[in-house]
Amino acid sequence: MEITPSLLAMQLMTGVALGAIYALLALGLSLIFGMLTVVNFAHGAFFMVGAFIGLYFLGLTGNFWFSLVLTPLVVGAIGLVVERFLVRPLYGRGIDYPLLLTFGLSWVLIEAMRVLFGVEGLPSSTPPILRGAIDLGFGYFPKYRLFLIFATAVVVFALWLFLEKTRYGLIVRAGSRDGEICKVLGVDIARVWLVVFGIGTAIAGLSGALAAPTRAVNPEMGVHVLAESFVVTVVGGMGSLPGAVVAGLLVGVVFSMTSLFAPAYAELSIFVLMALVLLVRPQGLFGKAGLMG
Amino acid sequence: MKAKLLHGGFELVRRHRVLAVVLFLLVFPLLMPYKALAINILIFGLFAVGFNLLFGYTGLLSFGHAAFLGVGSYLTGISMVHFALPWGLALLIGVVAAGLVGLVIGYLAIRTRGIYFSMVTLALAQIVYYAFYKAEQWTGGENGLRGIQVPAMELFGHRFDFIDPTTKYYVILVFVALALWLVSRVLASPFGAVIEAVRENEKRAAACGYDVARTKLLVFVISALICGLAGSLRALHLSVVPIESLHYLLSGQAVMMCLLGGMGTFFGPFVGAAVFLTLEDVVTTITRNWMAVVGGVFMACVLFFPAGLWGTLVKRAERVVRL
Amino acid sequence: MTVAPILEVVGVSKHFGRFVALNNVSASFEPRKLSAIIGPNGAGKSTFFNVVSGAFPPSAGKLRFDGRDITGSPQHTFARLGIAKSFQITNVFQQLSAHENVRVAVQMRHARYQLLKARADMREVSDRASELLARVGLSGLRDRAAADLAHGQQRALEVAMALASEPVLLLMDEPTAGMSPEETKVMMDLIVELAAERSVILVEHKMKLVMGICERLLVLHHGEFLAEGTPADIKANDEVRRVYLGQG
Repeated sequence: MEITPSLLAMQLMTGVALGAIYALLALGLSLIFGMLTVVNFAHGAFFMVGAFIGLYFLGLTGNFWFSLVLTPLVVGAIGLVVERFLVRPLYGRGIDYPLLLTFGLSWVLIEAMRVLFGVEGLPSSTPPILRGAIDLGFGYFPKYRLFLIFATAVVVFALWLFLEKTRYGLIVRAGSRDGEICKVLGVDIARVWLVVFGIGTAIAGLSGALAAPTRAVNPEMGVHVLAESFVVTVVGGMGSLPGAVVAGLLVGVVFSMTSLFAPAYAELSIFVLMALVLLVRPQGLFGKAGLMG
Repeated sequence: MKAKLLHGGFELVRRHRVLAVVLFLLVFPLLMPYKALAINILIFGLFAVGFNLLFGYTGLLSFGHAAFLGVGSYLTGISMVHFALPWGLALLIGVVAAGLVGLVIGYLAIRTRGIYFSMVTLALAQIVYYAFYKAEQWTGGENGLRGIQVPAMELFGHRFDFIDPTTKYYVILVFVALALWLVSRVLASPFGAVIEAVRENEKRAAACGYDVARTKLLVFVISALICGLAGSLRALHLSVVPIESLHYLLSGQAVMMCLLGGMGTFFGPFVGAAVFLTLEDVVTTITRNWMAVVGGVFMACVLFFPAGLWGTLVKRAERVVRL
Repeated sequence: MTVAPILEVVGVSKHFGRFVALNNVSASFEPRKLSAIIGPNGAGKSTFFNVVSGAFPPSAGKLRFDGRDITGSPQHTFARLGIAKSFQITNVFQQLSAHENVRVAVQMRHARYQLLKARADMREVSDRASELLARVGLSGLRDRAAADLAHGQQRALEVAMALASEPVLLLMDEPTAGMSPEETKVMMDLIVELAAERSVILVEHKMKLVMGICERLLVLHHGEFLAEGTPADIKANDEVRRVYLGQG
């Protein structure tokens, strides 16, 4: 196979599309960690639930856009319930407990999907509107993947708007740096935690719904994704939102480029990237040095 | 008077905890409905004990310990299947290999701290999973490694029929007892105090002059060696090495067993392993969805019984004795 | 003629982002003297203490202990070399007993990576810990968990732990913080005793406390040394007066 510039460009674009999903996942993770100091080990499971629910709504309404709007709402609602009743009691206890709880939760979520939708999973396909490919000049690129990149950009922008331009977003940003300030200002910090957890899981669910047409949808799909989103957060820096986006795209590109040159090592490549970052800059590309050592 | 007797009894058991546990394990098979479950509990109990050294005693939550169990299993299996080495040497190779992998993963993971640690260990263990998955000629890939034959073992001049489950149990118990003795020695040693200090207050331990990173790494490697032994024994027991041995879900099981039983106690991990495996056994006969049940039980423990079953018992007993 | 300094701070600066906590400070400390770094709150005393005790390295400059360059050395090296510290906010092993706290600190000099010996057999370590507890007046509380000790007792425990590593240089960050007047007196007497045997550097913002007992004072202000000398020199210093007006 000849390596031409257009082939490279195509592979790069594929990497960016893949990275878009990673970026969304890492965004949700970092948001939850930055605000609640909770590592959500159920994040992959929420992604998986989003994929299933997205397909379910698609089947129900026949409308892809409906399902894209409804899925994050439903998954976010589950997230709200989880935070309020399962995670919140654990805040005083020590940094490992919410992590452990979300890990147990992931088992329950996986099994719940098996019960609801069967062990085999659901068949997924690209929505008719977004089928086909577009000529990008250097080759034909699947419309759906372009849509993925675009959708991610929209979500990132919306999140940025929310955090930078709204009053509530300001509270979230302040709260992530110092919860005490919020209490002093009379803000109900528990409400903020609730909302942030809901937003984080909603984004995870949305990324699942978006990713569904590009991969097999089964109850186990969240497990690999969890490890991969951890790689992205380590590379980008935990709690850093720009880090999540940049690292997500970087990891996607590394994966797809390695698929081109050494396909057997594609999955391994992103973990090697993480190991390198750990050796050279353990706090991640955008992370604060204070978190380390 | 009663309290004094209890206290004395307590101290006796604590000082001879290895003996107490081994005595219990000697009669354990008689309590179990079938031997295979008892053997499984023995092996996974050891796995949990190795994990507990790092989690319960040092305070480091690793989500990648399946890597050490799996490496122990695979290297033992590969030594026997592809190189026709005797089981004793194969076991040693499995353990040493697990220790080496522990050294590498530990070194990288310890460069991070707290929250990051769990994520990094999970991700690094995935590397091991993918590596072994891909190396099909050696590991059998998706289908696992098959054909580990151990019909009989020569131990101390005796020939033991390894196929008989009861004999198998007691032979494995010899190794488990040895490992437990080692763990107990380490915990009672000066290094054991350093581990405790690091868990309690890293900054303080460093100010006292202890190299925190090196301490953590040493515990990590010891933990990996013990889990590797559990893996090697598992390979000999099952005669196969399933690829799931390296999977993240197995790492999670170690965490669950430790918490269910009681982390930071000597016997807790065994109790946790017994509860977990028995629960799995029982629940699968009732419903296919055992993962949900176990996950739910685990969440309940995290919320309401963080000290675990055995841990809560020990705490209650200590309170009675102090009164 | 002049004695070799036990600690030298050479051109040390420390930045946190754009904030300059220490600006090119230099100082030299003679052995067996009781010195104190004083200054109003926000002067940079804690930063100075942290750099000199090894909590973090300086952004620039050098640190020399007994002639040896220890700039950037990890925290655990400091104790091994003979520099011990007590923290401003009490930092002990909360769940361990008072005796165990000190025993662990003493153990550092005897065994660190010993895996197979039983530490219960190391009588010398345990006895030395008991001695140190007695010295700071905590013998009666040896089996109490550190978390259950009163504030002043925890501070005393910290001192015992600092002494456990047989330090040549003892660094103490506001040792009397949060103490009652009686506790303060006891602590200050102890510090004077300790200074007779080894070098002691205190960081304090209560001027009155240190005036009477220290042989040398250095005044920090906005990350720079404003003045240094004997208590008499400092008392007579107009600038120091101005800076401290209404304080100490």
